[in-house]
Amino acid sequence: MSQAEATYNTFIIDRTFEAPAARVFAAFADPRSKRRWFAEGQSHDVERFAMQFEVGGREESAYRFRPGTPFPGVLLEASGEFLDIVPGQRIVLASTMSIGGRRISAALQSFEFSEAGGQTRMRFTHQAAFFEGADGPAMRQAGWEQLFGQLQADLAAQA
Amino acid sequence: MTMAAATLAAPDRVDGIFAALGDGTRRAIFRMVAEGPRTVSALAQALGVSLTAITQHLRVLQGCGLLHTRKEGRVRICEVDRQGLDALEDWIAFNRQMWERRFDALDAMLREEGEGKRGED
Repeated sequence: MSQAEATYNTFIIDRTFEAPAARVFAAFADPRSKRRWFAEGQSHDVERFAMQFEVGGREESAYRFRPGTPFPGVLLEASGEFLDIVPGQRIVLASTMSIGGRRISAALQSFEFSEAGGQTRMRFTHQAAFFEGADGPAMRQAGWEQLFGQLQADLAAQA
Repeated sequence: MTMAAATLAAPDRVDGIFAALGDGTRRAIFRMVAEGPRTVSALAQALGVSLTAITQHLRVLQGCGLLHTRKEGRVRICEVDRQGLDALEDWIAFNRQMWERRFDALDAMLREEGEGKRGED
């Protein structure tokens, strides 16, 4: 039996928004607002998005990737729980993600906000355990497909 | 070292992979081997090229870590090398890009709202 390996990865994204912290925070707290920037996108159709913005509340979403993306036709599902909320300052969410019905990662998503001069600085820290082990045919297949897609785009751009 | 760490430590590797796959014959070889292990002679036969030519292409594909070969008795078998392209690494990059895109959308949304508010005043 092969050992299932987890890999750990942390990344940080710092952004400054031209809006007071209360407005930025509202974009995370209000389900309709959050759906607009968080769930909607050109690469996928939103099949489900629901959230209860309170500690212990859940956030559930499901997306179907459109053709031409790294995972065309594949269902991506995220399921999480709000662990900490400090109005205007901090949101911490723990979330798992599945692709094609297979759970591939668990992540702690921390959003910290600070306001200065009408702007809001946000630091997003994404700490994840990826469950993809030494053998993950579906994911690897998606990886190959992505590589070929990138290659084709690269070659088309050069032509 | 994990595969992800190996990929992060060697960004040039991706260039090597793209360079290797910039050739039609090597793409054909890689596609075939990605479907399952193939012998060198089977590849040569399927693609209608000489063993010498196949060997040269395989050297390039091995050099960037896309394939590896092993000897089984008197035949040499080509297999996909998992270190070459790390789907996990792609996934991490994809995840980060997804968040970058989300925050771009948030930024645009906040600006739009801001303009709307100013318009109302």
